Amino acid sequence: MRVISTMKFTFFRMVREYITLLLLLVVPIVLLTVFSFVLEGVTTETGEPLINEQNVIFVLVFQMFGGALAMAYIHTDFFTERKQRIYALPFNQTLYAFSIMVCGIVYSVLLGIVLMTFSEFVFGADWGNWLWAIYIIFLLALLSNIVCLIFTFSVNNFKIAERLSEVYGVGFVILAGLIFPVPGNDFFVFVNTYVNPITLAADAIYGMNQSHAGEAWFRSNILLIASGVLFIVMLILGKRKIR
Amino acid sequence: MTIFWFSLKRSFSNTTNLIFLTLFPVGAIFLPMGEVWPFLPYGYQFFGIIVLFVGIRLATIILEDRAKGVVKRLAVAPVTHFQYLTQNLLAFSIILILQSIIVIYGGVLYGHELYHPEWLLVLFISFSFTSLAVALAWISLYRSKETSFLVYMSVIFLIVFLGGLLMPIEAFPDILQRIAVIFPTYWLSEGIVWIVFGNDISEFLLINGVLWLYTIIFLVIGSVRRIN
Repeated sequence: MRVISTMKFTFFRMVREYITLLLLLVVPIVLLTVFSFVLEGVTTETGEPLINEQNVIFVLVFQMFGGALAMAYIHTDFFTERKQRIYALPFNQTLYAFSIMVCGIVYSVLLGIVLMTFSEFVFGADWGNWLWAIYIIFLLALLSNIVCLIFTFSVNNFKIAERLSEVYGVGFVILAGLIFPVPGNDFFVFVNTYVNPITLAADAIYGMNQSHAGEAWFRSNILLIASGVLFIVMLILGKRKIR
Repeated sequence: MTIFWFSLKRSFSNTTNLIFLTLFPVGAIFLPMGEVWPFLPYGYQFFGIIVLFVGIRLATIILEDRAKGVVKRLAVAPVTHFQYLTQNLLAFSIILILQSIIVIYGGVLYGHELYHPEWLLVLFISFSFTSLAVALAWISLYRSKETSFLVYMSVIFLIVFLGGLLMPIEAFPDILQRIAVIFPTYWLSEGIVWIVFGNDISEFLLINGVLWLYTIIFLVIGSVRRIN
């Protein structure tokens, strides 16, 4: 259990990185601010302020990129710069890799919570039950981390793995119809109802707000099961690379 | 013209660059038409974003040169800094112009209604130069390739949004509408509106003039030789 003593430092390393803070905290805050300015007073057909929906989606979108940090750390620690040193240390390397992932998830969720409280208190967006919202944010961060690590372990060229992780994030943003409306045929409806993590998470949060608890649990369980399955895939792939 | 050919080759050698330079613009042709807004198909409304990204990808090559000490070696080679810069920029601008031609005439062949394709081409070429100049000025602030790209990415998000490329500028509050004038992307979106509705050529010339003014200002800032 010597790994636990390293977690503190992994976390410090993550917090110190100002580029991450800029991309995952400052940019969303600025965008949220601008969006809320623009959308102030606009309501949907049901009379609910549009800010609610926009804010929730925004915070969830930035969770899709939360895996990039753990990915970069695993890469430098296990495959390049610090490879020799990490393997020489007297602790379980697999557990250390796992601890990096845990730190990545915790950090990403923390940023999500900061954004959530920001939008709730500053712009009055309604997040419903906070515990539920945090659970959903956690599920997205978990999924994003696992997917990013699968890319790291399965693609030999790290540059390409990084690009793939961006494709994962940006691709689902586009599929969700946030940049331009996607065609409303069966395929896209199916993807956005059962596959796309962003819409799944957003629907789970709305569902709980509008007291469709069954629906909300169903959506969040899809995310949970997907994470479970992909976690096993990640373990199998990771075992070949880290020993 | 050795540097020119070499920088053309370098621009295409990297996989990511290849995707940025070929796949994305071609993909833009096939994006659908919006219902009320934007007035041109989405691919053309968003092509400005691709141009901004391509600009920084290409300009990063100069940053790479500086980091690896190539600029230092060039200082003692029988090549002036002016030649180095112009030949590089010439290569980059040819890539960007080719891209614009492919996107616009590809769209015409595909059957999009582009109103005045030739004026749209002029607009995109002007904006390509602006994007290149802004990227050149941007990289002169940084030493690390990754940092400059990531921070620029967030800047792109902001200027694209505030310039009115992602949402119609009329939806913005008054103060943001006035501030938007300082972003080059605002002039691009104004230009697109002109292509659809405008008929007074002098307005279009003004829009292009502003883009070229930005180009000149940022080129001057970016072309200072920095050896580190």
